[in-house]
Amino acid sequence: MHELRIAEDLSAIVFEAAHNENLSRVTKVNIIFGQLIQIVPDIFESAFTEIVRNSIAEGSELDIEILPVKMKCMNCGNEFLVRDNTFACNICSNTDLGIIQGKELFIKSIEGE
Amino acid sequence: MEIKIMKNILDRNQNKANEVKNLLTLKKVLMVNIISSPGAGKTTLLERTCEAIGGKFRIGVIEGDITTDRDAQRLKKYNIPIVVINTEGGCHLDSHSISKVIDSFDLDNLDVLFVENIGNLICPSQFDLGENFKLAVVSTTEGDDKPGKYPMLFREAEAVLLNKTDLIPYTNFSFESFNSDLKKINSKVPLFEISCTSGDGLEGWYNWISDKILLSNG
Repeated sequence: MHELRIAEDLSAIVFEAAHNENLSRVTKVNIIFGQLIQIVPDIFESAFTEIVRNSIAEGSELDIEILPVKMKCMNCGNEFLVRDNTFACNICSNTDLGIIQGKELFIKSIEGE
Repeated sequence: MEIKIMKNILDRNQNKANEVKNLLTLKKVLMVNIISSPGAGKTTLLERTCEAIGGKFRIGVIEGDITTDRDAQRLKKYNIPIVVINTEGGCHLDSHSISKVIDSFDLDNLDVLFVENIGNLICPSQFDLGENFKLAVVSTTEGDDKPGKYPMLFREAEAVLLNKTDLIPYTNFSFESFNSDLKKINSKVPLFEISCTSGDGLEGWYNWISDKILLSNG
């Protein structure tokens, strides 16, 4: 269900950017989600499609890039992708980690004319 | 033409959450965002906590409920300030809903503000409310697979409370499996094994939360 709320906030950013750039039509919206956010792309797309109906973004394509979870080990500096929900360094097994990637909820760009 | 934006989609929520957090820091009030499935025992935990530490600390509660004020009614007997937020179908609280009600509290006369979020393990963990930390409450009757299924909440939680331990004999809950999944996701997170019905294990939770409140009131 949080897909709906996030899609609403996304559409507000899209409309504002389109207005600022004097676009008459938005054809594509490029977004990035981190894997930890647990967004279901199909539900998100359906929500976005409904929200932008009868607007300048109606029918726009949604390009969703999903980024895997990447951490940095605070002990040895190793950067690694988290697999099987295991938040421990795959070299030294240390669990003191900093997140590099995986919690993104970004709008990258919009395309239009 | 392509227009670069590169912006956090939840910027609006984050900005408002930062405002709430700044206000509470200024007033030295600890805010705890309690997240669990429906029926895991959030309200009962709050009842026990009010009984145990209500004499020592000034407690306030924000009750997130889809509809009804039943949870708030259960806490009325403790004579603490309570505000209900009905989300009318919404599956989580956000920082704007918190910001709208925060002025209802006399923050100069409050030590801790517990926020009982909507029962749900995914959506509430995405929305910063301005809290000092999130607390994950999970009960044995839900099964032992919750940390593995909802890694973000268990990764971000400052502490995990495993409730209804008295019911383990009547379920197929495996503590070993639960604990092993949890430690893979968040090896250092404190885990309190409790039963809000029998009172088992609650002393450790009371001590832990009391220390957190004292630290924030410092």
